[in-house]
Amino acid sequence: MNVHVSTLDEKTRSSLAIESHSETEEYFINMGPQHPSTHGVLRLILKLDGETVREVIPVLGYIHRSIEKISEYSTYRQIVHLTDRMDYLSAIMNNWAVARTVEKAAEIETNERIESIRTIVSELERIHSHQLGWGVLGMDMGAFTPFLYGFRDREMITDILEETIGARLTMNYIQPGGVMFDIHPDFVRKVKEYLAYFKPKLDEYEDLLSGNPILQQRLRNVGIMDAETALSMGATGPVLRASRVPYDLRKIEPYGMYGEVEFRVAIGTAGDCWDRYYVRIEEMRQSMRIIEQLIDNIPEGKFLLKKPAAKLTIPEGRHYSQIETARGVLGFYIVSEGKETPYRAYFRTPNFHNLWSLTAMAPGGRVGDLVAIISSLDLVIPDIDR
Amino acid sequence: MGLITEKLPKMMAGMPGSDIIFTRMDAVINWARANSLWPLTFGTSCCAIEMMMAPGASRHDLARFGAEVARPSPRQADMLILAGTIVKRMAPRLRTLYEQMPEPRYVIATGACTISGGPFIYHSYSTVRGADTIIPVDVYVPGCPPRPEGLLYGLLTLQKMIRSGETVREPGIRHKPVTSETPEGITIEDIKSEMLALLEKDAVVDVRKAAEQMERPTGI
Repeated sequence: MNVHVSTLDEKTRSSLAIESHSETEEYFINMGPQHPSTHGVLRLILKLDGETVREVIPVLGYIHRSIEKISEYSTYRQIVHLTDRMDYLSAIMNNWAVARTVEKAAEIETNERIESIRTIVSELERIHSHQLGWGVLGMDMGAFTPFLYGFRDREMITDILEETIGARLTMNYIQPGGVMFDIHPDFVRKVKEYLAYFKPKLDEYEDLLSGNPILQQRLRNVGIMDAETALSMGATGPVLRASRVPYDLRKIEPYGMYGEVEFRVAIGTAGDCWDRYYVRIEEMRQSMRIIEQLIDNIPEGKFLLKKPAAKLTIPEGRHYSQIETARGVLGFYIVSEGKETPYRAYFRTPNFHNLWSLTAMAPGGRVGDLVAIISSLDLVIPDIDR
Repeated sequence: MGLITEKLPKMMAGMPGSDIIFTRMDAVINWARANSLWPLTFGTSCCAIEMMMAPGASRHDLARFGAEVARPSPRQADMLILAGTIVKRMAPRLRTLYEQMPEPRYVIATGACTISGGPFIYHSYSTVRGADTIIPVDVYVPGCPPRPEGLLYGLLTLQKMIRSGETVREPGIRHKPVTSETPEGITIEDIKSEMLALLEKDAVVDVRKAAEQMERPTGI
């Protein structure tokens, strides 16, 4: 089979050769890798006609750390520590993806206490990830106050998690067979206090930013993506749900304690930037609802069923499992030889697939809209490059 | 503001017309430089969030030390905070960014990745082991990622260095504060060469040899 992969050089040269239909001349500019609104080191090559974007070509690899290759040399417990450097805003959920795959493959059992602790800390982290996304979106749109508000409330969740876990950002908490430490004695009280504090604050968030006519004009009817495009691009998480596809792994394929709690999946109607923004706000409400149902009755029991010193092997074959992080579906795929380390490890990361929906949304819009679209996708670049 | 309201009146000499203050040129310039460091917004990965937490957010508030004006353009910045892993593809861009910054320029390396390669030191084919192989680094702040307080301490150390170090006639001279002592008979160069030898042994993978040794798993 002969497959031709067009290089970047060919792409830019061939499109320059075609004469533009309009009177203006099309040209290329670079956005990134050092750019304040690409949230890291993402590089986009833009084909512009005046101020109108004709094509977006993402160029990757500026933070490629070869995590998959290192995984081939690491035991399954060591892989857990690499995953929270991928999407560092949903570190605990990334741990869970590895733990769930390994538990499913090696048939390790967990109890209800472990599952409810996992669910609670994951939802807390989902809230703090969306708070950061909300604040940074405000900053990208030119308002600095949301950034301060988002980070103030995010810091409080970080404090609660730090008491139990010991880290502020790259938290290694969930491991195959349980969680690393038992929850702090103050954990339940502090989470309850936080929920009581944050509920009115979320309404304040909406007063502050959602009702702002400037923000609405910058987000509404910008970067529209219909359901079909979103599905064909492989987008997941809030990006897909904003395009009217009610796909949430927590509902469709319940894991943890999600099968036993009541919550609703937020979906958008138009699939524009506004919907992606608002789906996240609604998800924060639903996350608080989930925590409220679980926090009062965490069952008694052990927090770690498989001892860390015990040898952990996975039967020969292919294993795959996935979970819903704050940004979408994170899958972990192992090809095992029956040894302590995998033969091949692959991460299906949500941001990589969400990024490509940008190439479908941005053409036809303005350069200023592109910043709004990138911001509404809420990308984490190390998760794209791995 | 303590300097102006408290220390200055003691140093002033009364003269007819107005008060005059005598000081060294270097002291004034270094004082001004140390207290108005403008960082470049350069973040590659996880440490960038903690770096945003320090100067941007209200709890840690880097503005107290005069370093909150984050600039996206290297031409307006004079401090580069390396936040996050540097990989081989980013290395030339980092060098360009550094060279675009006007003199005097200072570099703080935060996090394990920029100091030595961190969690990606072994078996990675793309990570740069230590950002100081590309650009000179003034202050190292360890951690994965370091707490915002750690970054604040790093900034204060840099300010101390600037105040005690440079002179106008000989720019670029840095006096690094001694942080810990090495045992007798061992120099920093010995440790560095030993580390490099270890790294080369581990990191350079002969792909063909590895492929020969590795058997394909059965049934796949």
